[in-house]
Amino acid sequence: MSAPSMRERSVAIRPRRVGSLSRLWRHRWPFVFISPFFVLFAIFFIYPLLFSLWLSVQRTKGLGQAQFVGLGNYELLFRDPIFWGSMANAVILFFIYVPVMTALAVVLASVLNAGFLRLQGMWRALIFLPHITSMVAAGYTFRLLLDRDGGYVNTALSWFGVSPVPWLDDIWWARVSLGLLMIWAWLGYNTVIMLAGLQTIPRELVEAAKVDGAGRRQAFLHITVPLLRPVIVFAVTLSIIGTFAMFAEPFVLTRGGPARATETPVMQIFSTTFEQLKYGYAAAMAFVYFAIVVVITILQFRFVTRGDDG
Amino acid sequence: MSGVRPLIAVVMAALLIVGACGGTPGPTADDTPSPAQSGSASSEAGTASSSPSAVPTLPAISPDPNLSAKLVIWGWESAIKTLKEVEPDFSKAYPNITVEYVVQPPADTYRNIQLAVSAGSGAPDISVIEDSHLAQFVGLGALSDITDQVTPYIPFMNAYKWQAAQLDGRAYALPWDSGPVAVYYRRDVFEQAGVDPGTIQTWEDFYQAAKTIKAKTGLPMWQNSKARNNGRLFEKLIWQRGLGYVDPAGAVILDKDPRQVEVLQYIDKFWKEGLALDNEEWTDPWYAAFAEGKVATEVTAAWMGAFLKGWIAPDTAGTWGVFKLPRWQPTDAQASNDGGSQLAIFEQSKQQEAAWAYIQFHLGRPESQLLMYQKQDFFPSLEATYKDPFFAEPDPYFGGDEVRTLFAEVVAEIPSAGMYTTDYQEMNALLAPEIQKFALGQQTAQEALANAAKLIRDQTQRP
Repeated sequence: MSAPSMRERSVAIRPRRVGSLSRLWRHRWPFVFISPFFVLFAIFFIYPLLFSLWLSVQRTKGLGQAQFVGLGNYELLFRDPIFWGSMANAVILFFIYVPVMTALAVVLASVLNAGFLRLQGMWRALIFLPHITSMVAAGYTFRLLLDRDGGYVNTALSWFGVSPVPWLDDIWWARVSLGLLMIWAWLGYNTVIMLAGLQTIPRELVEAAKVDGAGRRQAFLHITVPLLRPVIVFAVTLSIIGTFAMFAEPFVLTRGGPARATETPVMQIFSTTFEQLKYGYAAAMAFVYFAIVVVITILQFRFVTRGDDG
Repeated sequence: MSGVRPLIAVVMAALLIVGACGGTPGPTADDTPSPAQSGSASSEAGTASSSPSAVPTLPAISPDPNLSAKLVIWGWESAIKTLKEVEPDFSKAYPNITVEYVVQPPADTYRNIQLAVSAGSGAPDISVIEDSHLAQFVGLGALSDITDQVTPYIPFMNAYKWQAAQLDGRAYALPWDSGPVAVYYRRDVFEQAGVDPGTIQTWEDFYQAAKTIKAKTGLPMWQNSKARNNGRLFEKLIWQRGLGYVDPAGAVILDKDPRQVEVLQYIDKFWKEGLALDNEEWTDPWYAAFAEGKVATEVTAAWMGAFLKGWIAPDTAGTWGVFKLPRWQPTDAQASNDGGSQLAIFEQSKQQEAAWAYIQFHLGRPESQLLMYQKQDFFPSLEATYKDPFFAEPDPYFGGDEVRTLFAEVVAEIPSAGMYTTDYQEMNALLAPEIQKFALGQQTAQEALANAAKLIRDQTQRP
């Protein structure tokens, strides 16, 4: 059966209600075949989403009567210094590690992309390795390294006469330590994205620049990086979202401390849910958090891609 | 790895939340126990309450050997190990009850209880629950109302324990061990510094002793973390003064009483003057300080003995001693509480009668409580045990001090305080970061307590 004839027939019977049902029945098999996705999507996505929306207007402790509070949870949330503090932490953390990590990723990617490098596959695998390492193991290792009294880093520093650094015992140092762990864990991931981007840039462009007398550095800064911009924007977007959603890294390394300095919004949602059992409030948090991340992502996209058309 | 895309993150959050509250409808606190639960104890309860003028006697236990069940009991390592001490006696009395213990750290136990209770299934028959978490679960309606079974035991247990186990006049748990607090000290360190612990009557004396010890031996007085402070030392010291997070009416009092500020400033003096060792509780450096004699004292509860003797510092046997808490004011009790636990039955359990039989046999029977105290330092809440000669025996670990008698005196004096309420977990989680900020010099003691009080009022809707 040819496609046009099918379309004609369906157009012909569209106005009638019974007709659309019978049309559905006639095409039941395709629908049945694609239904598993939609069934799962409904159960594991739409239902939870609607349920947490419903939860977010209740005051409930999981058991017993839920009390309808309308927008009460949202009202409370907008003047909750802990929640906004965790948002601020995410912003601070973003500026601590994302610029460094992204720049390093671009540099590393272009080194890995260079023709002169031998064993490229091995280097690429090596750089990606931290990303697939269990974060719990990595986090505990970082704790051992960064421990104030017996940690290897401070021991090594003491050989050079540096007094112990409170890596995890000071508000700002803890953020820096978390940034280090993030760079360690996510640098390889970002490098791979950059590498993919680099491979779409024709070599002739760099070669032409060199023929015109540009040095390797100049070609990198004025040809490669500008052409890589869309990929960099993409990687930074992922980093923004990843920073707000950061959970395993601070949970293992600092548990959000000291004094909540490394607590991220998702950690806050987690502890509100599972330690304080305030399901309704936590659901409201999840929605506000989602809205904020979407807005920030859109703003960043607008800001960075502005003028690209010109 | 943590979600990279926002949709995934939100779905995850949503799933977590939904997964946690599958079945909202649940039993409420109003449910009365079914007659099947009462068992032998309730008839005794009947007689006890029908003749209030008679001197109450500890209910006798008459085990029903035909009672058959397979109980699942949750708890953490030290608690389960201790309960198992009673196993031979219990299996003799109840040959048809088998017990399966599930060992998890406290945090996991509580989280799994929450999940099981929210989901409507999967809870054990019985769980060990610390006083600090008990009121929360009572408030949730997760636990069986065992008022009828528990009532005959009320006069025989430490009175302060019932605060966490009861709600609106109904009881949901039977007290196991109490956490009477005293000062554990190193005899050798005190001797070396020439400090006689008998002269330490007030906290000012304690502070002066700390300075002397620091000057003579270079050792800090106690361990207390700055950046990872958990608020427990502060809690122990305010509990001694009859203070907690809230007053009996439930109103937040952290910022209402100058004595709270005084305690926090007192703790700060030790940090500022190098008299405190900055180690987080329950971490390797913290254990090492005890084992290697790097600290002179620890203000802690009776149960700490088992940890020190068992695995933290077994080699330091004989070097320790215990004295009662110094006073803030002459009228203060020389007593406080930290922790302590109880056993409770879950509403979900289909073996209520056998579960109660287990709890009664382990906690309501002086022989069992004594055995668990002798073996594992779980200090009994059951006062009938205190007359046992074991209490007067010297404890070699503590250099021959009669620490058990001392703790029995302390436990009788523990003031009631608004500490382990339904919101204890949350209030502690809100206070601790404020103490951390204070310890790191980011705010004053007054600000720390005022900020914590404000957060608690906002988050818990308490006055």
